[in-house]
Amino acid sequence: MDTKTMSNRRLLAGAALLSIAAAACVTPPDRDDLPSVVRAGLYAEPQSLSLLGKTDRSSEIVGRLVTDSLVQYDARLDLQPMLATSWEISPDGRTVTFELRDGVRWHDGAPLTARDVVFSVEKSREPATEAKSFLAGFQDLVRVEALDDLTVRAEYSKPYADFMEAWTVPIIPEHLAGREPELLKSEFARHPVGCGPFRFVRYDPGQEIVLEANDDYWGGKPAIEGVTLQVIPDERTAYQALLRGDLHLLSVPPDIWAEAESSRDADRLGRLLFYRLTVWYIAWNQDGSHEAFTDPRVRRAMLLALDREPFAEKVLGGLGKAAATTYHPDSVWADPGIVPLPYDPDEASRLLDEAGWQDPDGDGIRERRGQSLELTLLTPASRQEISGRIAAWVQQSLAEIGVRMEIETLEFGAFLERRRSGQFDALMASLTFTPIPDQYELYHSSATEDGFNFFSFSDPEVDRLLELGRQTFDRAERETVYRELQRRLEELQPMSCLFHFASPVLHDPRLRGLQPSPIDLWRITPGPRVWSWEETEPGP
Amino acid sequence: MASRANLRTGAALLLGLAAVALAAPLLATDQPWLARGAHGLVSPAIGSLLGRRPSSRTAETAVLRAPIPYSPGRVELEEIRKPPSTAHWLGTDGLGRDVAARVVHGGRVSLTVGLLAALAALCVGLPLGAVAGYRGGWTDAVISRIVEAVLCFPALLLALVVLAMSPGWLAGLPDVLRIALVLGVTGWIPVARYLRGEFLRIRGSDMVSAARASGAGHGRLVVRHILPSALAPVLVTAAFAVGAAVLMEAALSFLGLGVRPPTPTWGGMLNEGKTYVMSSWWLSLFPGIALFLAVLGCNLLGEGIRDHLDPRTDR
Amino acid sequence: MSVPSLGRPARRVGTGLLTLLLVTWVVFLLCHLVPGDAVSVDLGEESIGHRLPPERVAELRALYHLDQPVVRQYGMWLRDIARGDLGRSFHDGRPVSEKLGARLGLTVTLNALSLALMIVLAVPLGAAAALKPGSRADRWTGAATYALYAVPVFWAGLLLQILFSVRLEWLPLFGLESPDARALGVLPRIADRGAHLVLPVLCLSYGGIAYLSRFVRANLTESLHGDAVRAARARGLSPGRLLFGHAFRQASVPMLTLAGFLLPGLVGGSVIVETVFALPGLGRMFVDAVFQRDVPVIMGLTLLSGTATLIGIVAADLLYAVFDPRVRRG
Repeated sequence: MDTKTMSNRRLLAGAALLSIAAAACVTPPDRDDLPSVVRAGLYAEPQSLSLLGKTDRSSEIVGRLVTDSLVQYDARLDLQPMLATSWEISPDGRTVTFELRDGVRWHDGAPLTARDVVFSVEKSREPATEAKSFLAGFQDLVRVEALDDLTVRAEYSKPYADFMEAWTVPIIPEHLAGREPELLKSEFARHPVGCGPFRFVRYDPGQEIVLEANDDYWGGKPAIEGVTLQVIPDERTAYQALLRGDLHLLSVPPDIWAEAESSRDADRLGRLLFYRLTVWYIAWNQDGSHEAFTDPRVRRAMLLALDREPFAEKVLGGLGKAAATTYHPDSVWADPGIVPLPYDPDEASRLLDEAGWQDPDGDGIRERRGQSLELTLLTPASRQEISGRIAAWVQQSLAEIGVRMEIETLEFGAFLERRRSGQFDALMASLTFTPIPDQYELYHSSATEDGFNFFSFSDPEVDRLLELGRQTFDRAERETVYRELQRRLEELQPMSCLFHFASPVLHDPRLRGLQPSPIDLWRITPGPRVWSWEETEPGP
Repeated sequence: MASRANLRTGAALLLGLAAVALAAPLLATDQPWLARGAHGLVSPAIGSLLGRRPSSRTAETAVLRAPIPYSPGRVELEEIRKPPSTAHWLGTDGLGRDVAARVVHGGRVSLTVGLLAALAALCVGLPLGAVAGYRGGWTDAVISRIVEAVLCFPALLLALVVLAMSPGWLAGLPDVLRIALVLGVTGWIPVARYLRGEFLRIRGSDMVSAARASGAGHGRLVVRHILPSALAPVLVTAAFAVGAAVLMEAALSFLGLGVRPPTPTWGGMLNEGKTYVMSSWWLSLFPGIALFLAVLGCNLLGEGIRDHLDPRTDR
Repeated sequence: MSVPSLGRPARRVGTGLLTLLLVTWVVFLLCHLVPGDAVSVDLGEESIGHRLPPERVAELRALYHLDQPVVRQYGMWLRDIARGDLGRSFHDGRPVSEKLGARLGLTVTLNALSLALMIVLAVPLGAAAALKPGSRADRWTGAATYALYAVPVFWAGLLLQILFSVRLEWLPLFGLESPDARALGVLPRIADRGAHLVLPVLCLSYGGIAYLSRFVRANLTESLHGDAVRAARARGLSPGRLLFGHAFRQASVPMLTLAGFLLPGLVGGSVIVETVFALPGLGRMFVDAVFQRDVPVIMGLTLLSGTATLIGIVAADLLYAVFDPRVRRG
């Protein structure tokens, strides 16, 4: 038995040595050659490769690279014609007719026709496809039909000024995707075929998705030869891969951005910053369970107590800025006259005093009619520690004006349930928006049950403006309505909009043509198809 | 002898850490120990310990400050991630909070979790393991089935559910108790196994067989022969269990399941600091050292007890 | 953990199956008692402007049978299992068996390699320490192994990464294989994967090395001075052979215990290492599945780890009895 164990051990040792020796022979990627393919990091696997089904970010990125839609947002959030060259809206606002681009071919060579568009739209409306954004967007669609090979007409049950948003739906080939009834389980979902700038090559589950350039793309051959999306769930590992040259493009969390600022290894990397369509907010429950928050003066005071500028600069490292409303400051719809509330704790104290919350016994906590001004802030657990830091900072800032706040952190799924059922004093999280100006789902008094108005806000003037905005098609008139809305919201402070966050991106400096947008680098037009590789000037 | 050295070192480490943890509210606080108030000397530090809220309005001049004159939760945006200096001996973290204060206060949570979890594991594992080992036969078989069932159950799921999602009544419990509960429920099996083996040995030992042969009743057996022999293994297990529990808390914090911020825990601090390992090494080094010392202390203590007491047990 | 059942393998299997049934039922129940489900978690990420009306949400729920009573859903799952069908993931629709299979190989390799490393390093260490108990070498190795044991895994992983991947660039940083691994031949590709596993395996094993070596040492110091050894020496066996033969047999006890633990730990045990090194293993899949409320995957993994545990326990029992005569007697 001993000889056997001895030889076993020798075998093991030999194998180990062999591995290490062989590893030394596998050379790391040579940084000096100009790459042809862009290797980018993804933090989550795409839930589906069907290009249309499942709307998580990774799936959408793949979808946008492999196929096109009728229209698409550009970096300034204007809708641009893609597969549709023009469109006409009927006077009553309920019908739209699209003219399609001629000569577009699928990656298998077949021509794209109006029937593919009709198929894609109808497919997106099937629950089994789980294309949630389009399920919602096409809710009022009554009929969509192909008038001829290059013309599509769609009819709605009622007019909605932002209906075009849904026409960013990815178009998939009927002759391939239509073979099986369920898109998500089909063969097409394993080997998708689109008409976009990149064609699908292969997917190694849990590892990477490989795409190569489509030479026959209608918009011109991409300047890069392909895109490889590498799935690395740990941000730190991904960052180190970027430093070593294994990756060329990575969006990074704020902590790593800060570290890259001070690290010499990261000196050579290119940096990009863009402010996303998200708002970091605190929502105060106005359903009456907590008597303080139904008073707009109290809500306003809370925000006045937060010194956001230095926090954004020092803790967020310049990656956040104070927000004024839920409208993105770079959006055409934002009212430039509305600025974020300043830091004014004296005014905050005054407002609270006026609202009846005072501190007669000097214990540092305000009270009114025997009730202390205490609350528990519910926040979802996040892999980003920034959430915890903001909470700690808010806690301390509010303590200084006499409000006592506890922090409760809950797993995301559990957090959603509490939010939905309204069981909270205040919530802190992040909201994502689409480029459209309509925010009915957030602020309308009817949106408390099924919408995003989980904090039970209600104001008849806001309701009226929201309803008006949805029905107004004229651009100038819409702008007026939404500016008025923003002013009213600023007065009432239904939720405290704390920050807009910037998305930092680090990249190989030789990668050019990246267009930062409030959406991201990928899901816009022209997007990745105009990225290119160029040598950098040799440094000093 | 090695065992003496182990024992002494281990015990010294643990006692030292425990003392620091207990004294934390006085050791690291921004309330001065002594201050001159309106009516002579007062002690704001002791005052806040007794629950009196700090009064910022009375004119007080500090006469004697605490050795670490910062509270662990005090956010100071001007002092973000400063390296160790005379002002902040161990540096500051991402919100400008003093690291030394956080390490000292963090010990309270980490050690409490460790002790409670070990206690929970012992409460379940000790009776089950001891009975299984001593009685053998049917009892042993039944307990083995229970152990199997628990082993087959994915512990990670339990941890995630209890710690992250807290349905209903569990949500009311403080974090520390919940973590201790999870670690206890998942950690009792090694305890039970070890003790079962030891009790088997004790039962089969010559001394016990002789005593039984000479007609000693169960009670007498237990009190005079079993218990003294069992004391050592139980202590050993307890020591190791505490160390394991403290490490597990750190692991849970890494997965985001530990005691929630802003309460400082060593594991949580390591998790926060891992992003800054290259640039702000002090964020990871000091809580790491503290954690390391605690676990080392437990292991040395356990080892020392085992070496020290075991040889005396009859085979 | 028990001896009397050895003679009744059929009954053992029976009770094992019952245990599995009980465990899967409890897990299933837990999955449905927690707040939220696969649909609500998925929808929670939606943007303002994409709100789904309740009818659509109900339709989505019905797709996954989430509108049925829990018992009925469990029944459906059992029925599928009986046919050998593990169902499809709620998250991406892929068959659970496919998802498990893709990752099983890696997790098994990781754990097997780390167990091997543990034995290879710990047994000689423990034996050497037992040879001269109380000596300086013994105390120093003891201190070193305990120091190792006290280091948290994720911290160790991070430090190893920084040292070997970033600074020295000796070893790859993450993942299973290099980007251009496909172009390599069979043997270089195996070597490449091996290189990627060096750091993760190191991380998984260093804690166990401490535990195992101390165990070996503790057991050896007892027996080295016992009757059996004196008898063997009298028979003329050299101390070296004696030691290694004996050491192995002594080590087999904690080894089997470890192996017994390894199998249940298959799923949850390597989560941290998998996360730090971005390895597509079962542990990470489990955590993700819980956060996504992906019930079929959770159930599939539970079934897998439960079965593996039972096999591990039974096998350990058998071997235990063979190797350790004390147990047979007791």
